[in-house]
Amino acid sequence: MSGDRPVDGLEGLRASSGRHYWRSLEELWDKPGFRARVAREFPALARIAPDVDRRGFFKCLAATVALAGLDGCERQAAEDAYPLVRDPDGSAPGSQRAYATAWELDGIGQPVIGQCRDGRPIKLEGNPGHPASRGATDAFTQAALLGLYDPSRSPAPRHDDGPATWDDFDAFALGERQRLDAARGRGFRLLTGPVGSPTLLRQIAELQERWPGMRWHVHAPLGRRDASRDLSFADAEAIVCFDDDPLGNGPFQTWHAGNWARRRRAFQQGQGDALLMVAEPSPTLTGVAAQHRLASAQGRIGVLLAALAAALRGTSGPGGIGPVERRWIEQAARTLRAHRGKSLVRVGAHHPEALQRLARAVNDELGNTAPARPQAGDSPPDLADLCRDMAAGAVATLLILDANPASSASPDLGFERALRRVPRRIHAGLHNDETALVCNWHLPLAHLLESWSDVRCAEGSAALVQPLVRPFLDVRSRHEVLAAFTGGERGGRAIVRATWPGDEAAWRARLVAGVVDAEPVGASPRAPSRSPGRQPPATPWGELELIFRPDPTIHDGAFAANPWLQEMPKPLTKLTWDNAFHIAPRQAERLGIANGDMVEVSVGGRGFIGPAWIVPGQAEDTILVHLGYGRRAGGKVADGCGFDAYAMRSAESPWVRRDVSLRKAGGRADLACTQTHWAMDGHDWIRSVNEPDEALPDKPEGANFYPPRKAEAGGPAWGMAIDLDLCIGCNACAVACVAENNVPMVGKEQVAKGREMHWLRIDRYYEGSAEDPDHAFQPVPCMHCEDAPCEMGCPVNATVHSPDGLNLQVYNRCIGTRTCSAYCPYKVRRFNWLDYTRDAEPARVAQRNPEVTVRDRGVMEKCTYCIQRIQTARIEADKDGRPLAEGEVVTACQQACPTQAIVFGDLSRPESAVSRRKADGRDYALLEEANTRPRTTYGAKISGGAKKA
Amino acid sequence: MTAPSRYHQITGEVVSIPPRFPAPRAWWLLFAGALALLALWVVAVAVLLVRGPGVWGNNIPVGWGFPIIGYVWWLGIGHAGTLISSMLLLLSRSWRNSLNRFAEAMTLFAVVCAGLLPILHLGRPWYFYWMAPYPNTMGVWPQFRSPLAWDFFAVVVYLVVSVAFWYVGIIPDLASARDRATKRRWQFFFGLLALGWRGAGSHWLRWRQAYRLTAALAIPLVALVTASYALLFAGGPVHGWNSTIFPAYFLVGAVFSGFAVVGILAVVIRSLLGLRDLITPLHFDRIGKLLLATGLMTLYGYLADAFTALYGGGYELETLHDRVGGAYAWSFWGAVVLNFVPLQFMWRRRFRTSPIVLALVGVSVAAGMWLERYMLVVTGLFRDWTGSSTGLFHATFWDWALFAGFIGVFATGMLLFVRLLPVVSAFEIKREIGESGG
Repeated sequence: MSGDRPVDGLEGLRASSGRHYWRSLEELWDKPGFRARVAREFPALARIAPDVDRRGFFKCLAATVALAGLDGCERQAAEDAYPLVRDPDGSAPGSQRAYATAWELDGIGQPVIGQCRDGRPIKLEGNPGHPASRGATDAFTQAALLGLYDPSRSPAPRHDDGPATWDDFDAFALGERQRLDAARGRGFRLLTGPVGSPTLLRQIAELQERWPGMRWHVHAPLGRRDASRDLSFADAEAIVCFDDDPLGNGPFQTWHAGNWARRRRAFQQGQGDALLMVAEPSPTLTGVAAQHRLASAQGRIGVLLAALAAALRGTSGPGGIGPVERRWIEQAARTLRAHRGKSLVRVGAHHPEALQRLARAVNDELGNTAPARPQAGDSPPDLADLCRDMAAGAVATLLILDANPASSASPDLGFERALRRVPRRIHAGLHNDETALVCNWHLPLAHLLESWSDVRCAEGSAALVQPLVRPFLDVRSRHEVLAAFTGGERGGRAIVRATWPGDEAAWRARLVAGVVDAEPVGASPRAPSRSPGRQPPATPWGELELIFRPDPTIHDGAFAANPWLQEMPKPLTKLTWDNAFHIAPRQAERLGIANGDMVEVSVGGRGFIGPAWIVPGQAEDTILVHLGYGRRAGGKVADGCGFDAYAMRSAESPWVRRDVSLRKAGGRADLACTQTHWAMDGHDWIRSVNEPDEALPDKPEGANFYPPRKAEAGGPAWGMAIDLDLCIGCNACAVACVAENNVPMVGKEQVAKGREMHWLRIDRYYEGSAEDPDHAFQPVPCMHCEDAPCEMGCPVNATVHSPDGLNLQVYNRCIGTRTCSAYCPYKVRRFNWLDYTRDAEPARVAQRNPEVTVRDRGVMEKCTYCIQRIQTARIEADKDGRPLAEGEVVTACQQACPTQAIVFGDLSRPESAVSRRKADGRDYALLEEANTRPRTTYGAKISGGAKKA
Repeated sequence: MTAPSRYHQITGEVVSIPPRFPAPRAWWLLFAGALALLALWVVAVAVLLVRGPGVWGNNIPVGWGFPIIGYVWWLGIGHAGTLISSMLLLLSRSWRNSLNRFAEAMTLFAVVCAGLLPILHLGRPWYFYWMAPYPNTMGVWPQFRSPLAWDFFAVVVYLVVSVAFWYVGIIPDLASARDRATKRRWQFFFGLLALGWRGAGSHWLRWRQAYRLTAALAIPLVALVTASYALLFAGGPVHGWNSTIFPAYFLVGAVFSGFAVVGILAVVIRSLLGLRDLITPLHFDRIGKLLLATGLMTLYGYLADAFTALYGGGYELETLHDRVGGAYAWSFWGAVVLNFVPLQFMWRRRFRTSPIVLALVGVSVAAGMWLERYMLVVTGLFRDWTGSSTGLFHATFWDWALFAGFIGVFATGMLLFVRLLPVVSAFEIKREIGESGG
């Protein structure tokens, strides 16, 4: 009834019969009902609008105009950050500055060099001086830069769904501090993601000291693996992995892949073996790189490890081992015995503690002792304890620091429901995400690249994090947020500085190099040790299991708003923008399922519908699903991408569910897959040899219509060599190329139409049976053919050859006939079918590399061998009056590659790295029969991993 | 009937068509349909120019799609007009005189369509003139090794020669029309177009030289243009394209589809304008025979192409497999069936002389040849050298809109020609009557 409603403002006008005049908006505004209504509709206005008189308004206006000029200056990095170059002062505008810093993934540091230009970070590269990366990066780190420019980042604090200021929060924190001091911290809980920052650990320890009643919890949806427990692959001549993916996309990828590649390169040189054996339910990058891979359900892993341990000890193992499994175990045992002291047995971190212990015992018995590394503090209790306490009403204040459990907690924990029982809920994160929406306070965190911090890296040493740029938004770092609670030092730099010993000179030296040579000072937080996980019983064959894995592109969902990663094809399925139920070929055949068909997976009685994708090499009874999709509040980019697999998990057994059934549902999904055809059909696009020193048979060189191209006398002849034996298909090169070359992202529909723009794609081929295929990856950039068909086809000279052997694409001459692409045997050219660049958000535009033209609609583009880097190096060399040095030009893909599979350089120098690679007998040209004489060549895979006996 | 009265009758029959149009109702109906398609063309082009070639189904690897298919198809249609007119003129085959005028007009409008399509195909159509060799401040010339550059030159020259040949041929009839026009506006219209033709002996002498010379230019041009767009395909290292048979194969295929459309137009114009005395069963018979001959040559091209693939093996054989059994097998078998099955009716004189049968066979061949162009362009690209560059092409609404729109462009042009100009070469028929002694 209208009579029940409070009559306010406008309704008041409408409701009054007869004429009712109001003289000004102020009169209306003065009614309290109207104010409340405005506050409801426009919360921002409610705080700002009142009580500004005319004089006040003009004062504000004058101040705004006066102050506006101040912000016109460039945003440089904080003045107390120390760049790599010796003298930043007096550098020319537009010149590039590099800062050593780090970024972290799951609490594991990824040391990088941030390249900044005009105050904008435009590219991250691995820090060659840091032992954890040796200059390489993974795909996530390359894409982390875009996260800094993410337009969906949270810009300012919010309180009770309305805008707030940091002052409001500081006032709240002061009250909270006084209350908690009185209560000695009872009722206060801190929830973080995995913590790898010594400073943060110190702060938490201080907090615990001050408030003994508080507790710290960690939410790690992908599980935790401490840096210290991992052994170097560089010395392991034989590695046996049980459902473990050290080479896969994740926080340790750069470290492990780099070490594995060092071992592999030594093997190529004839020094020792490089054997890798993997038993796993679904193909991973590690499994694909292995010489002997066994497809085995996750439920069988425990039995297999026990059988291997028994085989090594000469005792009788568990029964029920199949003949294929038996052969694999025997071979593994032989291999391990032959490499005592130089081998490694690993079990996936998601397997129970009992298995981990068994693997450690096997390693000890084999003498594969790992060098001691610093141990992190004990692990804090996890989310389940917190949820129980919250539901019991024992939590009064909860600070969630950089975690998003509302999206990634198992549904049976009832996190959201329990959280609502907490009176004071504070969320600090980059985005106004699912968790922020159920909290009273949301505090925007600074991106790591714009804040001070530190982090422990994969090999155990630490790296300092210094800001590459002052924050774009009204944000604080996680240390500053915690400091607001504890009081005391508030500045991020000072907080981090206090963690590290040594004088100012030592501090500066560490900042410049990005490497810390000391251990942090201050206490480590205490926490009760974790209860060991239960060992699920081994499964007999034929029982269906649903396993959960982090997504190789958007990880745990934290990158759902990152288009570079969303559009990056997943290494093995080549799917973009979506997840799917991965099923084995036999299973698909049995149920009559084709790629993209909708299937219903019933999990513990609840049905989930999603598209199916057939994965050759997957264990028959395994269904795999990637986590991180189906975000409810993941921002505009993540909207409508995939389905939520966290909802299928249980807290009891987060990595596998056995109470599942699979059936075909009606309908199909349009999945955007970038490579639909993967059979080699008898062609030799991927070539391989059996031994490292074996040479490929020579193919006769075809006759040539054109006179041989004369190289510029004395000038360089650029070329590239990609060793397929080292390539693990990790995508780091492809994302680095996107970041370096302003490659536009086009969205799911365009990818589905075959219009992705990646200049460097990674082809994936299968050979052999669908149940147990051999996989091969092949990164394909432009081949820079010496007799390029594209150059012959272009009617307007838009693609031409340079004297140093580059196949150039002249964007402003291109009229878009697409003849070059039709004629290109490698199909590496990309066309701007629509306008992919003009409508980009201004925030993202700021990331673009100013050295690389942004391409317009209707223009062809392709890999340039990073010509901007060649030119920069050439100009520097010219200024010094010297020839270009070997290794002075490093392409973006080469720079990122964790295994150094890609080598670029000058072919006219016989001693250059690329010339040496090309002189190797394994070197071959893709599609030699096309007679294009490509400058990019490949090194054949070596099928074995051991020297000839 | 005496020769002068025959002359008079023919002139009257042909030249009086524009001022006293015999079939206004049918014409307006057809014209309304053509205008509707033309409007669709305008919309399709506007959408294309505003949003870019991404409105089509093209992608990587199938970077060429409907515009290139349409380009080859329209050019092929155009070639028949040139051949009928000029080759038969030089060979003094007088029966051509009833067909050559509208066949030339058909060439003209087909070449206009064919010329526009590759321009619209471009990513940046407004720079199409960069393919022309003109001195410019950029100091850049076209890339003379590119088949595209030569294709551009060939089509431009062909368009100019086609216009010249058609216009030179129509001048005497324009003069007759001018002389017979009674209304001022028709006198003015034809007077301008007739370029002061008075029928003097010196006029006829110069005219004959010019006409024969243009005809002699046009014939090799047909071969040149087909060769140039055949090289567009054969020049690149694309399996299914890279074949030396293409220039000859494209020439016969082009003429085949062209004769099919000449057949359709002959039937339509004859019944629309009631020109039963001028376009006779004899003409249908000849068109049918030519259709059969060129069709069989095209079939030979198919067989030879398949033989080369079988003989060569490797990637070529894979492409052949894709054509006969792959994702686009429908285009291959559609082309084979539509091109060659109804064609077999043309063995019998009874069917050749039947306007309905001829028109239906013509429609079938025109559709079949379009499918053949589709098959050639798409199956060459959709599975490229490496297995990873496999990508299907699906035409979108705007692809079809532009395709239909170009039929509108062609039909509008043809209908305006039929409405405004003498559709049959009256003076050449009269001369024929005169020379044969009436």
